[in-house]
Amino acid sequence: MTNGDILIKVEGLHKKFTINGHEELHVLKGIDQEIRKGEVVTIIGPSGGGKSTFLRCLNLLEEPDEGKIFFEGVDITDKKVNINEHRQKMGMVFQHFNIFSNLKVGENITMAPVLLKKKTKEEAEKLCDELLERVGLLDKKNEYPSRLSGGQRQRLAIVRALAMEPDVMLFDEPTSALDPEMVGEVLQVIKDLVNTGMTCLIVTHEMGFAKEVSHRVLFIDDGIIAEEGTPQQIFNDPKNPRTKEFLSKVLY
Amino acid sequence: MNFGSNIIMALQRYGHLFLKGTLITLAFSAVAVTGGVIFGGILALMRLSEFHITIKGKKIKPLSIISTAYVEVIRGTPILLQLYVFYFFIPSALSFLNLSKFASISLALIFNSAAYVAEIFRSGIDAVDHGQMEAARCLGLSRNQALMKIVLPQAIKNILPALCNEFVAMIKETSLASTFFAGDIMTTYKTVNGALFLVIEPLIIIAVIYFALTFTLSKVVAVFERRMKTSD
Repeated sequence: MTNGDILIKVEGLHKKFTINGHEELHVLKGIDQEIRKGEVVTIIGPSGGGKSTFLRCLNLLEEPDEGKIFFEGVDITDKKVNINEHRQKMGMVFQHFNIFSNLKVGENITMAPVLLKKKTKEEAEKLCDELLERVGLLDKKNEYPSRLSGGQRQRLAIVRALAMEPDVMLFDEPTSALDPEMVGEVLQVIKDLVNTGMTCLIVTHEMGFAKEVSHRVLFIDDGIIAEEGTPQQIFNDPKNPRTKEFLSKVLY
Repeated sequence: MNFGSNIIMALQRYGHLFLKGTLITLAFSAVAVTGGVIFGGILALMRLSEFHITIKGKKIKPLSIISTAYVEVIRGTPILLQLYVFYFFIPSALSFLNLSKFASISLALIFNSAAYVAEIFRSGIDAVDHGQMEAARCLGLSRNQALMKIVLPQAIKNILPALCNEFVAMIKETSLASTFFAGDIMTTYKTVNGALFLVIEPLIIIAVIYFALTFTLSKVVAVFERRMKTSD
């Protein structure tokens, strides 16, 4: 367990979506949470419960309707804050990879650090080679991503985010769109990353994985954190009946 | 009646007119699409603009509304009507501009083409998976950087073939300029028809010319499209 400083602090987070212009869907109904440096937090819960929305609010991909989000002490929901600067320090990995299809594998990694002047071309190239080596994709560097398998794309997406040297990594169901035989290779990359001490927030349906890597598990249902605790507490001794019901339905 | 010999006769006597008409038709189309791309590009940017004002708690995007309204009006009225407006109304309303016949007709075609081109741009950009923009923004790129580096380069593949088709369509639509004897290939038909009292023969000639132009172009576009697909 880690007892580092608070990296992300969420206060009273609400998010509503409007459907067809009028109907409102209240997705997040007041979430308070603190994430400490070096912590690995997995977020589980039923579909439509607000897990992904919560994660997407953390880097303002979704703008919260109410509440505050502090990242490294700065309230990023403040309109005066330049969110682009803070996003550079929050890596994100998506369910559908979202690899840039107009760029080669290597360029996917070097584009942002060079464009945003975090690194010179040479430094970025060097880091790119290291990162690709780490996930076993160095031989694909000069190919277009259309040639990659799902698992390879997701591994590339992870190192693309790492190239910005973020302080936290957000994973939004990173294995849900993968063929079953490719899930393992992606989870392995995430496990290796966790072992480096990276702060990670992972929305996942892989319960075995959540049990294994996380320091803390959040069970989000119906827009609130219905239960949270260590993996042992949540998986072996859930208190909330909704957590019990959810876990009894999930195979792992 | 002897079709073949009449066609040959018309070509021998007025071949230069058919050639001139073809060139003017091509010139109209090229000017219309080039101007349309510039003006249409601006319209598409306006449509995509996030610039907004808030009235009574509602977000209103004036640039986007103006652009959408323009596109709808142009697409919802006949091109012939637009030609009339530009041919009769604009030169008298803005008489200080001293617009020539060619200029006012070109302007009408540009303003028409821009609406279609704007739609081509917009749908080409919309067709790029939204996740691409999100992923770029998550790395810390601004909206404009993400557009320039990631979204537009992918949208180009959707846009270019559709733009070439717009050019093909424009070649056919310039025939309406003959309403004002603009010198295009349809005007040539009217001239030859009046001079020789022949209807079918000159029509066949210009039909062949139109078809040759559009067919060749669409074949070129098809080759072009295949090339772009293989680069994926």
